[in-house]
Amino acid sequence: MTNKTLIMPAGMPAAASAGVETEARPVRGRVVKSKWTRDLLTFLMVFGPGLIVMVADNDAGAVSTYSQAGAQYGTHLLWIVLLLLPVCYFIQEMVVRLGIATGKGHAAMIYQRFGKWWGLFSLVDLQLVNFLTLVTEFAAINLALSKMGVDPRYGVPLAAACLVMLVLTGSYRRWERIVVFLCLLDFAWFWIAFRLGPPIGQIVKHALVPSRPAGGITADLMFLVIAIVGTTIAPWQLFFQQSCIADKRLRFADLKWARLDTFLGACVTVTAAVCMMIAGAASLTHGFRFTDPAQMAADIGTFGGPLMRHLILLMMINAAVLGTTAISLSSAWAYGEVRGWPHSLQLPWREARGFYSLYLLCVGAAAGIVLIPRAPLQLIILGVQVLAGVILPSAIIFLQLLLNDKELLGEYANKPWNNWVNWTIIAVLFILSLILAAQVTAPNLFSTT
Amino acid sequence: MKTKKDQYVVIHPLDDVLETKVDTEALGPMAMTRSVRFSLLSLRAYLILMVLMVVYHVVMLAR
Repeated sequence: MTNKTLIMPAGMPAAASAGVETEARPVRGRVVKSKWTRDLLTFLMVFGPGLIVMVADNDAGAVSTYSQAGAQYGTHLLWIVLLLLPVCYFIQEMVVRLGIATGKGHAAMIYQRFGKWWGLFSLVDLQLVNFLTLVTEFAAINLALSKMGVDPRYGVPLAAACLVMLVLTGSYRRWERIVVFLCLLDFAWFWIAFRLGPPIGQIVKHALVPSRPAGGITADLMFLVIAIVGTTIAPWQLFFQQSCIADKRLRFADLKWARLDTFLGACVTVTAAVCMMIAGAASLTHGFRFTDPAQMAADIGTFGGPLMRHLILLMMINAAVLGTTAISLSSAWAYGEVRGWPHSLQLPWREARGFYSLYLLCVGAAAGIVLIPRAPLQLIILGVQVLAGVILPSAIIFLQLLLNDKELLGEYANKPWNNWVNWTIIAVLFILSLILAAQVTAPNLFSTT
Repeated sequence: MKTKKDQYVVIHPLDDVLETKVDTEALGPMAMTRSVRFSLLSLRAYLILMVLMVVYHVVMLAR
C-alpha cells in the first residue's frame, strides 16, 4: 500500500443526507497496489456499525442476564446463546440491506411506507423501551461504582458527561473510532473466562447438545430464557444499525463488507456472552448465590483475586457505556428522522441542536433516575429485557414487510430462503412471547422452583 | 475504483460522493394489501395484550 492520498473532483453534486444539505466537494481516496490490500482497506473503512451494534447489545442488562443464567443453571443454557448467533446475523443483515439501499433510518422508513400512525406507534415503542433500558445501563454503572468504592453521586454524572462529550465532536469517524476501541475492550471477557479455568468438555457438550438443567422446566427458567432472547436481539438494534449506516453513507458496493462486519460482530458478541455465562457458572461452582453482577464480581474476587473483581466491574461499566451511547443514538436518530431535523454525528451542535438535545435528555434523565435511592435495580434489568423480547416480534414484522417490498428494494429485497428463515425466527419469538403470556395468566402451568 | 493497471483507489464512504439511493418519498405509502393490513392489525392487538401482561408480571414479581 502506498501512503498516497488522491484527491479527485466530485463526480456529482451531493444531495440531501441525514436531514442536511451538503455541498459538492472533492473526493479523497487512498491509492493501493494490490486487490488484497484494496479489499482489506475497504473493509476497515466500512467496518464499524456491525461490530458496534452487536457488542453494544452485550450491554449492562445482558451482562446481568447471562451471568445470572450461568449462576443459576451453570453452562446448561449455552446452546441457546449459540443458537442466537445466526438469528442475530440474519436480522441485522436485513437492516444492512435496507440501510444501504435507502440511505435512511428505520423509523423514517416505517413512517414513509406505513404512514404516520404506524410510524408514531413504532417510535413511541422504541422510545419507551430505550428509555427503560437506559435506566438499567446507569443502574449497572451505579452498582459497579459502588462496589469499586466510588461514590455514584459523582461517578454516575461523570459517566453521563463523558457519554455526552463522546457524540459532540462533530465527527462520525471520531465517535466510531472511540466506540470501536471500547468494543475491543470486550475481549477482556475472554481472559476472565479463561482464568476461571472452565470445564472445557462440559462447555462444549452444553453448547452443542441442548440439555435440561436440574429442576426441570420451571417458571424461572422460562423467564430467564425469554430474557436471554430479549437481551440478545433487541428492537433498538434495528433502528441503530440502519441509522448508523445511513449516517456513514455506506454504498451499494460496501454491502458485502457491511455483511462481514455484522457477522464478525455477531461472533464476538455471542462468544463474549458465553464467557459471561462461564463467569456466572464459576461463582455457582464456588457456592455463591447470584444477586446482581456487581456482587458476582465481588464473589469471584474471593477466589479469582482483586484484579478479576475489578476487571469484571470495569467490564460492567464498559458494557453500560456502550449500551448507553448506542441506545441513546438510536432514539435521537429515530426522532430526528421522523421530525425532519438535521440528525448526523457529522454535524456540530449548533447545526443539529434537536438531535443532540434528545441524546442529552435521554442520558441525563436516565442517569438522574438511578440516583434515586432504593430502586429494585436487578428486577428492572430483567423486566426490561423481557419487555424488549415481547416487543421485538412487532419490530421484526415491520422489517420483514419492508424487506419484501420490491417497489422499495428491487434486487435487494428478500429471497424466498430469507423469508423462510425470518418467518421461522418470528414464529419462535411469538411462541416465546406466548409462553410468557401463559406464565402470567396461569402461573401454575410450569412447576415453580 | 480501478485507476490504472495494479493501482486501486480506496475511498472512505464519508469522503465519497453521495450515491443515488431509492427515492422513498416519491414512492409514497406501501400498498395496503390484505396480507399487509392483516399483519398490522394482528400486531396492534398482540402488542397491547403483551405489554399489559408484562407490566402485570413485573409488578407481581416486585411485590
